[in-house]
Amino acid sequence: MSQLELKNVTKKFGGLTAVGNVDLSVRKGSIHGLIGPNGAGKTTIFNLITHIYEPTEGEIFFEGKPIHQLPTHLISRAGITRTFQNIRLFKDLTTYENILTACHFNAQYNYLDAIARTKRYRVGEEVLRNNCELLIDILKLNDQRDILAKNLPYGYQRRLEIARAVALLPKMLLLDEPAAGMNPDETIQLLEIIKQIQNQFDLTVLIIEHHMDLIMNLCDRIMVLNFGRVLAEGTPQEIQNHPHVVEAYLGEGGH
Amino acid sequence: MNVTFFIQVLINGIAIGSVYALMAVGYSLVYSIMSFSNFAHGGVIMLGAYIGYYSGALFGLPIWAAILAAMLGCGLIAITIERAAYNPLRKRNAPPLYYIISAMGTSILLENLIVATIGPNFKTYPPLFTERSIEIGKIAIGKLDLLMLVISAVSLFLLVFLIDKTKIGMAIRATAYNLRASSLMGVNPDTVIFIVFGLGGAMAGVAGVLFGMRYVVYPQIGIITNKAFVGAVFGGLGSLPGAIIGSVLLGIIEVMASAYWSSNLQNLIAFVLLIFVLIVRPSGIMGVSTEDKA
Amino acid sequence: MNLSWYYISGILIFAGINLMAVQGLSLLTGFTGLFSFGHAGFMSIGAYTAAIVTSWLGAPFYVSLLSAGLFAGLISLIIGRLTLKLKGDYFVIATLGFGESVRLLFAFLESIGGARGFTIATSAHHTSLFDVVLVNAIGLIVMVNLIHSKHGRNLKAIREEELASRVIGIDVFKYKMSSFFISAFYAGVAGGLFAHYLLFIQPAMFQLIKSTELTIMVIFGGLGSITGSVIGAILLTALPEMLRFLNVWRFVIYGILVILIMILRPKGLMGGQELRLISWTRRLISKRKGGQA
Repeated sequence: MSQLELKNVTKKFGGLTAVGNVDLSVRKGSIHGLIGPNGAGKTTIFNLITHIYEPTEGEIFFEGKPIHQLPTHLISRAGITRTFQNIRLFKDLTTYENILTACHFNAQYNYLDAIARTKRYRVGEEVLRNNCELLIDILKLNDQRDILAKNLPYGYQRRLEIARAVALLPKMLLLDEPAAGMNPDETIQLLEIIKQIQNQFDLTVLIIEHHMDLIMNLCDRIMVLNFGRVLAEGTPQEIQNHPHVVEAYLGEGGH
Repeated sequence: MNVTFFIQVLINGIAIGSVYALMAVGYSLVYSIMSFSNFAHGGVIMLGAYIGYYSGALFGLPIWAAILAAMLGCGLIAITIERAAYNPLRKRNAPPLYYIISAMGTSILLENLIVATIGPNFKTYPPLFTERSIEIGKIAIGKLDLLMLVISAVSLFLLVFLIDKTKIGMAIRATAYNLRASSLMGVNPDTVIFIVFGLGGAMAGVAGVLFGMRYVVYPQIGIITNKAFVGAVFGGLGSLPGAIIGSVLLGIIEVMASAYWSSNLQNLIAFVLLIFVLIVRPSGIMGVSTEDKA
Repeated sequence: MNLSWYYISGILIFAGINLMAVQGLSLLTGFTGLFSFGHAGFMSIGAYTAAIVTSWLGAPFYVSLLSAGLFAGLISLIIGRLTLKLKGDYFVIATLGFGESVRLLFAFLESIGGARGFTIATSAHHTSLFDVVLVNAIGLIVMVNLIHSKHGRNLKAIREEELASRVIGIDVFKYKMSSFFISAFYAGVAGGLFAHYLLFIQPAMFQLIKSTELTIMVIFGGLGSITGSVIGAILLTALPEMLRFLNVWRFVIYGILVILIMILRPKGLMGGQELRLISWTRRLISKRKGGQA
């Protein structure tokens, strides 16, 4: 069954249609690719799903419930989170603190518990710290744990963004060009990590990426966008052989 | 309602508003280029009032010469402030709030420099011309009001002309649109910032003299000039016509409130209005709002 | 001896009053990334609340402090509700407008003395050094515990990256409101301490420059550091006193110092400068880092 459903979603900026009448259905547990040339509206779709932009028209459903009117933080509470194309880490915090902050969902204690250091606070903090350690292990960030995010090498910054997203224990993860700027080795590592966390945390993944090898290797289904409209949708096989896609996209700039 | 009285109050309001406008354009010009509220501007206006005072009292210069002296002096002071207090911040891309604090430090510095050297006392301008009113029909208009209005209007007209019609103005507008892109287009942002502070300072000089003539001169005048900042926000920070329209409106509202309600309210109204405008339409009358980009 | 202790304890009490307000502002500015030029407004609300509660209702000292904090906090909720959604500079400008409005409003209200001010009965409790130390100690414990919790971390996240904070499920608006409330509460309590120390308050004591001064103390100590704020508040309160021999020139120096801090304060500053002032500031910054670890 489909976990995320976009129905006829449109976003206009002034007179410009960034995304027009997009229908998208993402199956639970799948890895779904979103490709297309620059400016095709891929990131805009992420921004619409996470309600950083308000859709001009259309509806978005997550697990059967409408989410297009929820504010961003409640969408992540519902189980969708994301990474950013232009990395947005908490720059002056360490790797450890970045992840620990994102774990905050997993403990419930209020201000008074914190001020009075109640048992609820102590137990909660313990849970958060354990979660955080686990994630650091899984994403192999042990050697980087005390380094400020802004001082991490580029590849690790992207990895930390994924770790921070997974820390919410989401049901669905949106990855915006996670391999951008990575060398082939790092890209392969990233591929493994995505597969691993998808398995381990039972995630649905929606991914924007320009590395065609990675996309074709990873995805169960792929949607191709061009000028804000859906050009094609199908399995990697179908996409690779789709005449429009070959013409508009793969033909001229595919890796 | 007494129509004559109303018109007199209205003209009075426009006159005060036009002086606010002279001050507000300085805030707006700087904001449009550097995106911060330059709270040192009040200090520059205060210095302008002193320059005008000494030109008249000490050297017996006529009013037009006093104004010119203040324009020149304040232009130079504003440029010096930019060099000393903001330029180092610009070199390292400091966030806007550092500029604001640096500006406030500058304003503390200027104010107390005057207290320490000239002293905290009030100074009254020598009568630069005979203060009488002109009567048009039944309406009596203060000569000073008229003078304020005319001088402000001429100065503002020249400024707008400069920005709208000349090459320098185009460079300023391009820089306001995008600081980085304009430097790619061959406009030197340092030159533009230099000119903008010079222009803002010159306007502050005119405003300082007019303000000093109307009231008195003392080191804390800068606090009152915060109302001109309100005028700039009211019209939309960064917009030149906005600053002028907003300031004139503020002048009218203030004088009306004090004439028809209570003179104690004159200052309060400006700031209540400020909050109100920010809540209802933060981009002001002429400003444009933008959407967050991910 | 007696006189000099009286003098020193006076400075310490003022430092403590400032520190209380600075602690709150440190949470707002240093940890949440929101600047305010209106906290003198919250201080004045606290001062008048404490003065009125004491003079008219005969409330005990600590009750008056609590009501001062709560009332300032309540007002902050209204102001925050209206202005915390404003972007960038506009929130700062709104706080400036708020601070000035409050001051002018107090000057306008003749029933509480108007511009002439409000005198508290001399029989009322006089803020002592002990009171100031006690209140600040409680304030510090609460603040440190708060910062070292998930709530404190969420505030820091907002300071660092607002959009990313929303995406990891932080209700940014709610947290900003809490931070604003707590900072206003602290400023209100500081105002209460102030009113009971002087037993006389007037609107002119709470000008924009007072708000600026508090923010400068936070920045001077180093953003995101409570120990830094403590040092900043005490040093900058004492500094004008230490420079008293310079008369009015001390404020000129204060102004220059503020500009220098802004120019020289960044962590990226490296080598080259030999001014003693710089190494002094730098030592402060490293002390701050030590205090935070």
